[in-house]
Amino acid sequence: MEPVIQGLLLVLDPYNIALIFGGVVIGVIVGALPGLSSPMAVALLLPFTITLDPVPAICMMAALYCAGTFGGSITAILINAPGAPPAAATAIDGYPMAKRGEAGRALGMAAVSSGLGGIFSLVIFLFAAPMLARVALQFRPPEYFALTVFALSMLASISGKSSLRNLIAGAFGVLLGTAGIHLTTGVERFTFGFYEMTDGISFIPVLIGLFALGEMLGQSQSLNVAYERITSIVIKLPSRADFRKVRWTILRSSFIGTFIGILPAEGATVAAIMGYNEAKRWSKHKEEFGHGALEGIAGPEAANNAATGGAMVPTLALGIPGSATTAIILAALIMHGFRPGPYLMLETPHFIYAIFGAMLLANFMFLGIGLGCATLFARITLIPRQLLWPAVFVLSMVGAYSFASSIFDIWVMLFSGMVGFLMKRHGFGPAPLVMGLILGKLVEESLSQSMIMFDSNWFRFFESPIVNGFFLMTVLGLLWPLIKRPFTAKPKKP
Amino acid sequence: MTQSRPKAQDGVVNDGGKGAASPPLIDRTDLGLAIIILVVCGYLYWVTTGFDKVADLFAQDVPPEFFPRLLIWTIVVLTLGLPFEHLFLRKKGESLDEDRANRINPVVYKTAALMLVIVALIPWLGSTLSMVAAGLTVPILWGERRIKVLIPYAIILPLTVTFVFSYLLGVYFEPGIFGS
Repeated sequence: MEPVIQGLLLVLDPYNIALIFGGVVIGVIVGALPGLSSPMAVALLLPFTITLDPVPAICMMAALYCAGTFGGSITAILINAPGAPPAAATAIDGYPMAKRGEAGRALGMAAVSSGLGGIFSLVIFLFAAPMLARVALQFRPPEYFALTVFALSMLASISGKSSLRNLIAGAFGVLLGTAGIHLTTGVERFTFGFYEMTDGISFIPVLIGLFALGEMLGQSQSLNVAYERITSIVIKLPSRADFRKVRWTILRSSFIGTFIGILPAEGATVAAIMGYNEAKRWSKHKEEFGHGALEGIAGPEAANNAATGGAMVPTLALGIPGSATTAIILAALIMHGFRPGPYLMLETPHFIYAIFGAMLLANFMFLGIGLGCATLFARITLIPRQLLWPAVFVLSMVGAYSFASSIFDIWVMLFSGMVGFLMKRHGFGPAPLVMGLILGKLVEESLSQSMIMFDSNWFRFFESPIVNGFFLMTVLGLLWPLIKRPFTAKPKKP
Repeated sequence: MTQSRPKAQDGVVNDGGKGAASPPLIDRTDLGLAIIILVVCGYLYWVTTGFDKVADLFAQDVPPEFFPRLLIWTIVVLTLGLPFEHLFLRKKGESLDEDRANRINPVVYKTAALMLVIVALIPWLGSTLSMVAAGLTVPILWGERRIKVLIPYAIILPLTVTFVFSYLLGVYFEPGIFGS
């Protein structure tokens, strides 16, 4: 217990609190700006933290990580442009709510769900970190392959009316993810002579294009339609009844997010997809999903922020980063002379607890900022469309460009926007394509590594009970509409 | 008691006054869509035949074309169901036609064309001036005519974005011919 108290006392130093607050503010802003992600912001912060003491330096980065994940939901809800990939699932229901004039309610729900998810994962860490880390250690490439196949199968019901179109879009997303140099052989695939594509298609421009520009083109068709938005409704926050409605969704998603976050390389995005899908699966009002369901915001937001706490577990306890951002934090730890892994737990446990104390504080801080400023953010939706959307276009251009300072990425964004508009018109959701693109690399890598492990014997996949469990869940998930039919069919009238 | 068979008119079967007409087996729009997707898949499959060949030992039994082809076949199989999907959606009381019933408004093409021009001008105009161009032309295309709003908007927005991204965050911005 002594290291816990020592760690928390370190965090409560006023200087450290100020730095954590700075990290939270930067995180919320960076997370909200499309194209600027938490990994990028933490990487930019890294050189500045070298001059700081290790505890405030790492605490500031950890705070930025938590707040950045939440920040992505602000633009996802307000303008359908997720500031970061983990917020893509939030846009599915958040944006329709903002469109019907309930931006404040959606933002408030996102802030509370994110805060509670993050706090939950940190409490879990304090009590169950060693046990959870042991479970994550069981995961080898076959288990990752099965997990990603399960995540991909869940795309069928992620958005829109058509599961078939979602699966096609998801498969196209995974196919896009194969562009670039093949990991095992070094062969160039689908680069079409563009050297910019040798590293693959960056998902930031695709994501911005599909969500923001696709929506902008759609909005251009309804310029003559006047929206009547009443300021008092736009800035209205969620009620107690709203929170009562989503309490189990938040709890369930927090569990999912914490577990997914602990798995190395599985990050907040996968957690958000699973959180959204489970929220829909368990909901009594499935028909509301995609049209502005509160559970559709609470599910992914609680899960993606719970994943931030979860991702720190393998980073600190095992020295294996749980996400891109934690990989940079791991580098910062090494730069500050620490040896991440079991020794860090053994030699400086108070330092570990200081980081988690900082993350806990960061969650409370962005919860306050999120709720306090939700009404301010929500007023963005009151800006006339002919001024709001050109600003989104400008931000999208800069967002796509700033990721790699490449004009090619702006072209990718523009092309994605036009494809996104046509896809939406024909019932293909942009979310499955983006999710497929994000998961694509992981699924191919884990498949290749598994095939090498198994000497190309497919049957050896079934030797692992975890793999069998995920495959079984995949099959059940895909066949669920057929399985449930006899049980849910209405009795015929005589 | 016998009931007369519903008459078929123009390929649509009358359901005897029950309200909704039986849908055709194949949805023409989705058939066209499926053909486009299959053509794209065919092209991408052809591209995979041009991937560099590597020795089996080096590829470790997972050649570079294996996974993309697996995905292409998956998409082909799924796409074959597209023209018939409306039958299943109809059973659930859903339809995709309401989203695509109207023709695309010409302003969509104009906006897309304008965006293409603005992006094409970035290397020449530079990032900031391109943003000014976007801030000025897109609102005008979308019907904004208040000069007192437009001019400050087209200047303040790009300058703010340039300040945040270029000066505060250190992102390199294209200077363009005027900048250099």
